[in-house]
Amino acid sequence: GHGGGSRGREAYAKFSGAPLTVNTINNSWSTPKADVPVLISEDTVISQPAKILNFLRKQRYNADYELSAKQGADTLAYIALLEEKLLPALLHTFWVEAENYCSVTKPWFASRIPFPLSLYLPGKMSREALNRILLTRGGPPLYSLTEVEAQIYRDAKECLNLLSKRLGTSQFFFGNTPTTLDAFVFGFLAPVYKVCFPRVQLQEHLKQLTNLCRFCDDILTCYFKLTITDG
Amino acid sequence: MSLVAEAFMNQLAAAEPWPENAALYQQLKEDQILLSDNAASLAVQAFLQMCNLPVRVVCRANAEYMSPSGKVPFIHVGNQVVSELGPIVQFVKAKGHSLSDGLDEVQKAEMKAYMELVNNMLLTAELYLQWCDDVTVEEITHPRYGSPYPWPLNRILSYQKQWEIRRKMKAIGWAGKSLEQVLEDVDQCCQALSQRLGTQPYFFNKQPTELDALVFGHLFTILTTQLITDELSEKVKNYGNLTAFCRRIEQQYFEGHDKDGSAAASARSAKRSLLR
Repeated sequence: GHGGGSRGREAYAKFSGAPLTVNTINNSWSTPKADVPVLISEDTVISQPAKILNFLRKQRYNADYELSAKQGADTLAYIALLEEKLLPALLHTFWVEAENYCSVTKPWFASRIPFPLSLYLPGKMSREALNRILLTRGGPPLYSLTEVEAQIYRDAKECLNLLSKRLGTSQFFFGNTPTTLDAFVFGFLAPVYKVCFPRVQLQEHLKQLTNLCRFCDDILTCYFKLTITDG
Repeated sequence: MSLVAEAFMNQLAAAEPWPENAALYQQLKEDQILLSDNAASLAVQAFLQMCNLPVRVVCRANAEYMSPSGKVPFIHVGNQVVSELGPIVQFVKAKGHSLSDGLDEVQKAEMKAYMELVNNMLLTAELYLQWCDDVTVEEITHPRYGSPYPWPLNRILSYQKQWEIRRKMKAIGWAGKSLEQVLEDVDQCCQALSQRLGTQPYFFNKQPTELDALVFGHLFTILTTQLITDELSEKVKNYGNLTAFCRRIEQQYFEGHDKDGSAAASARSAKRSLLR
């Protein structure tokens, strides 16, 4: 869920060599929220991407050490772009689009969390996703869910185009070594790229941007040494 | 709006040149308008000034309700009405004026990313402060927001808006944040903007773009609006190049416009002076 968030953090951790376990859920009744994937390092449990990244930095596992101040600022800006323009469509693809949700997301997610959370949590996340989309992107002059959906997918495709232009022919976003931004982008793109959904308009668009596909493939083979078949 | 409607609007826009009587609508300056709306309005005004397109500012209590998207500001040009900076930039572009044409593809991507940063962090922080910080809500927001209307309408409208904003904050995960965390976010955002700007006069060196207009709108408003405490403006003041940036744009594009229309001039005189 928020494949973006957890995959991004996992990738970041792999880039900087931090030894840790990334769990998909911490198995508590009080957790159900949007940022479900959490990071457990030694005894500390934290969630939310920015906090996790700060935590890793404090522990001195820092993939951004070589970045200049401006590149650090760029990172923040591009992450904002991803959250504003790509995330709504991602949420929709995973949690709102009925065919996708019923045939892929819900079974996958429910199989990885304990009973009886599995009965309740997927539906809750689905409702929260729709809620978030409507509250942040709905409203006049878009009056129906279809219009909102059309707009968020348009924005997502434009965002992918911008990312592709920014990446160009480089291996990573800031040269030859991966950084936080690469982790975030990978976190958002990998699920779209690899998960086999019935409804795939975003995936089809992404596949046309060959440098972004190459970017994902590079990271998958170098850092994960396996092919991801699910989110 | 849908792709077809957008294309249609662009065609209509392209057909006529910019008229003399273009108007920008916002809420009442002195008593009603809030920080976030003032920032948005100032951003659009700055953008139009940078494009050399004349517009007069019209203050109406019901500006929010007149707007096609429910958000201010909106401009009334010829017989078209367009609201919010993004669509206005598109509209102006269809008429043949653009500030970002000289940028290459990578720079354009960067510009858009930084604009999202301002929306994602600065604007959200402003909304949080206005509508989720209880002290500010009681002492500033509620009195101001409904001020043109009689009781009980003023209270009803204000509570309705507060409820709407709080729902949105909850959905994006900001409802659980404390004021300190929000101010931290503002600081992070300002730091990023400051680092990106560096020693250049504008974000893309010699010429201002819509990004400069947007950043100016928010930072200038934060710097010159009196709130319960100075904490918010202090965050911006920590970065000398940002205050210099605001001063520069104010002098370049707003000074000498002493007519009633300039929100910047009256914001400055009514609240606090930027030039210390």
